[in-house]
Amino acid sequence: MAPELGFPEGSVTARLPAPARFVLGAGILTGFAALGEGLVAWAGWPLPGPVVGMALLWAALGLRVVRLHWLLEAADGLLGVLGLLFVPATVGVIQFLSAGAAWGAWLLVLVAGLLAGAGVAGVVAARLVRPEGGPG
Amino acid sequence: MTWTALTLVAFVLGVLLQARVRSPLLNPTLVATLAVVAALLLTRVPYETYARDVRPLTFLLGPAVVALAVPMYRLRALLARQWRALLVGGLGGTLCAVAVDHALPRVLGVGVDAARALGTAPATSPVALQLAQFTQAPPALAATLAVLSGLLGALLLPGWLSLLGVRHPLARGVAMGSVSHGVGTARAREEGELAGAASSLGMGLAALAVTLVVALLSAGR
Repeated sequence: MAPELGFPEGSVTARLPAPARFVLGAGILTGFAALGEGLVAWAGWPLPGPVVGMALLWAALGLRVVRLHWLLEAADGLLGVLGLLFVPATVGVIQFLSAGAAWGAWLLVLVAGLLAGAGVAGVVAARLVRPEGGPG
Repeated sequence: MTWTALTLVAFVLGVLLQARVRSPLLNPTLVATLAVVAALLLTRVPYETYARDVRPLTFLLGPAVVALAVPMYRLRALLARQWRALLVGGLGGTLCAVAVDHALPRVLGVGVDAARALGTAPATSPVALQLAQFTQAPPALAATLAVLSGLLGALLLPGWLSLLGVRHPLARGVAMGSVSHGVGTARAREEGELAGAASSLGMGLAALAVTLVVALLSAGR
């Protein structure tokens, strides 16, 4: 893991023990989630705070305000179990199970929308992808 | 705490099952969801109690979504070279899904509340939830149908894209993210970092596109 992180010469984070580095990364990620939430609430945008936080972190990494090696391990750890974090939301379906007969139509609409949308996106994107020279 | 423990164990069982039986239907999120739903129904515990118990997991979702910026930053050079495919493909796919989700409920005679809730399903559930005040959809139903759309996408889209001959990881990723957001992105990451990064980008674009459509529609009313 560590060589891939590419710690700069004499970097303080390289000297941190791995668990402490994980805490630092988690702190930064949570900070950007809070920043996104705050910005959205302040500006009154109908967007999710964490998605705005994702854009802010991308910008901060690009501007080198935040360095990749500060949070790489925490990000990999959280993203490795991303599917788990959605379970509380998906279980929410239980609240609407008794809506009964309507479910057939709802599922039909959702599946049709998914197949049409992803089909268009996939085929269009595959046609527009520019050939890459060499591997990677 | 019991429900958090059950959710964690059920998810790991889902991961083990998926490793053993290589079927797309054994998505760990789906396996855990079915196990928890069955347990809640058997014990007659209301969803509110469950949701309160698993709040630590829900909290982690915020930082995890922020973390999606990391693979996107690592692949920034590639994503910058391919911006045309990602932007046109992602926006085209989301708008197409929104059009189907608006038109089909009218044809099928779906109830007004559900029809309004279906219209925001291609966006991630927090967006659907916040847009409910503009679409006058029941907020909980809008959020739930959005999450369900993600789960269905994670199950159906990998096979569907293969059937259509879409093989490039960027195209597969952006297709999944543009209609099935977070859960779809979790699934796309299983195909590799490139598909995962394209999917996160597609999810962000979809959030913007659906918000814009709803803003335009409610302005025209």
